[in-house]
Amino acid sequence: MTKWVRWTAPVAMVMSVTSPACAVQYLTIAQAQKLAFPSATGFVEQQSGRVWKAQNGNSAIGLFVFDRVIGKHLYIDYAVALDLSGKVRRVDILQYRESYGGEVRDASWLAQFVGKTSGSALQVDRDIRNISGATLSSHHVTEGVKKILALYGNQVR
Amino acid sequence: MSVPDAYARLRALRRQRTLATGMAAVSMLTASAGAAAAAAADDGSSKSPTPVEQSSNEALMKKLQAMEQRIKVLEGQRKQKQPTGAGGPAKPAASVAVSNDPKLRAEAQTVAKEPAAAERKPILGMLDSPVPGLIIGAYGELKFGAMQNPDANGRWQNGFDAHRLVLLPTYQITNNIIFNAEIELEHGGIAFDADDKRHGTAEIEQLWIDFKIIDQFNWRAPGIDLVPIGYINQHHEPTQFYSVHRPEIYNALIPSTFMVPASSIYGRLMDGLSYQFQLSTSVEDFGDDFGKRTGANTVPPFPAGYAAGITGLDALRFARPVIGDFRQLSNDLAYSGRLDFAPPFLPGLAGSVSAYYTPNVTPRGAYADTGDPLGRSSLTLFDAEFRYRVPDTGLEFRGEYARAMFGRPADLRANNDGDPTNNVGKTMFAYAGEVAYHLPLGTILNSEWEAVPFYRYTYQNLQTSGFAGTDSNAPTGAGQMQFHTAGIAIFPSPKLVLKATYQKVKTRDPAGAQSDSILGAVGFFF
Repeated sequence: MTKWVRWTAPVAMVMSVTSPACAVQYLTIAQAQKLAFPSATGFVEQQSGRVWKAQNGNSAIGLFVFDRVIGKHLYIDYAVALDLSGKVRRVDILQYRESYGGEVRDASWLAQFVGKTSGSALQVDRDIRNISGATLSSHHVTEGVKKILALYGNQVR
Repeated sequence: MSVPDAYARLRALRRQRTLATGMAAVSMLTASAGAAAAAAADDGSSKSPTPVEQSSNEALMKKLQAMEQRIKVLEGQRKQKQPTGAGGPAKPAASVAVSNDPKLRAEAQTVAKEPAAAERKPILGMLDSPVPGLIIGAYGELKFGAMQNPDANGRWQNGFDAHRLVLLPTYQITNNIIFNAEIELEHGGIAFDADDKRHGTAEIEQLWIDFKIIDQFNWRAPGIDLVPIGYINQHHEPTQFYSVHRPEIYNALIPSTFMVPASSIYGRLMDGLSYQFQLSTSVEDFGDDFGKRTGANTVPPFPAGYAAGITGLDALRFARPVIGDFRQLSNDLAYSGRLDFAPPFLPGLAGSVSAYYTPNVTPRGAYADTGDPLGRSSLTLFDAEFRYRVPDTGLEFRGEYARAMFGRPADLRANNDGDPTNNVGKTMFAYAGEVAYHLPLGTILNSEWEAVPFYRYTYQNLQTSGFAGTDSNAPTGAGQMQFHTAGIAIFPSPKLVLKATYQKVKTRDPAGAQSDSILGAVGFFF
């Protein structure tokens, strides 16, 4: 009777101290928007399902962009929030489907993008750390953020 | 400018073009008629257009050409907005939320022309998938150069090896159920005709389905998977290491690619910490030809003899379990676990600790050359490794330690096969340290290149003391090896690497290792 407890107890202990989160869909767009702009009172869609202007009352406070890149072979859904000066305010991974390379979700790695502008190098192994074991994912997410800054970094004002 | 606005603008431009063309035609006709009338009113001889008329026509043609070019740009942007074949989303259009500033619009158009990662085609990055959602990647290694051949008294011989071509099909069955496989052709594949001259391998290297449940707990259904031991075994693509051959620890002590019938659970415990626990078929101390195992799934009966799977010269290279046709030689299961860490407070550092345990490696019917049966012997493998990229520099360090411990070496076949040179002690171990430096080479052929010179030292002892068994205790020292490996890896892209490596091998064997090499390689992973 107690044998099964011996096998399941370690798992139960791990589960009890960590907060369960979805394996593939980590954040919805609405949740990511709220995390990026906690003071926003609304998000006005600029392009359907892709770009929103964050507003506090009638004032714009930033831009929220949703995009996808390939990880190793499957898509990574991510979002980039830009402040009024065109700098990256926050990057979040919304969906990660691969079995390896999930380290791109680590907050410490994503924090590297905060403050980047369209003039930043945004190159892995230069101003963005590589993740060994997630080389392709880290390169592709970095390229994605760079693309978004090039497209929208000058237009948030 | 929104997509509807772009279409409206395109239609407007087409109307303008049609109108301009019409106007040009009318103008030309008018001009021609005028010219003809003037000519007719003249003395009847033909006359060239006046300079003013010619200038007017040329200006009109230039305007038409400019409009034509503008239409092509807009049509190109419209095509880029169409969904990709693999069901991917439309890219953010350059025209969305673009201001009316012509300079910014031009900037956006330039970016829109650059291929985004999401445009990568599903089949080898180049073709649309015949099955929506199926993606096939690949990696491979081609090697060439000169090496000493120990079977030819250490003579240097030139050679070439199409070492690997591996196809990587991935299919998202549902949002939470993912299929993955690796199909490998080694050394040019296999063929039966003498003129094809093939002696390679065609095999399934991985084949599993992941059920992604929650962040901390996911299940990999029974399939063919890689033992979670060390780093390179699971991340063995040629772009993951700088030498031509895989690091030495992964050639014998950890028999990469260490693939087994297995099922796993894995997950991410917190930022920078993840785990995997695996149940698999045990390694087997049988390294002979496949056809020699009997229909009863035993070793060939005494006195036929058989080759050991675990030896003091090749470690576990010949001990990997069978993955097909229910031909495993024991009922034993192995357990392995791994913790991966990348502490946020030490950016640039990543590493792992891992272990593998099987209660028994001895196959059914195992015996010594004396005819005495061999009993059960456990095996424990332990590995600890790290990779550290010093922040804001090109400096990288790697270090690794691996150790194998045998429960009862007296029951290992290598200690009982009449060959005293391949004996196995109580333990085997290896350690390695590597330093590399990442040098940006700038933009060449439209991509950012990087050169990585490196040096690695590896010490490996596969014949430590504690020999037991019926063989005489006389190893040659060939199981104690030192490797000095140095070279350069050049990355034209993160998906492609060109390598050159020199390796010096030393052993305690009085004859020497006779295994030095100077090799080049081309490796890719996409």
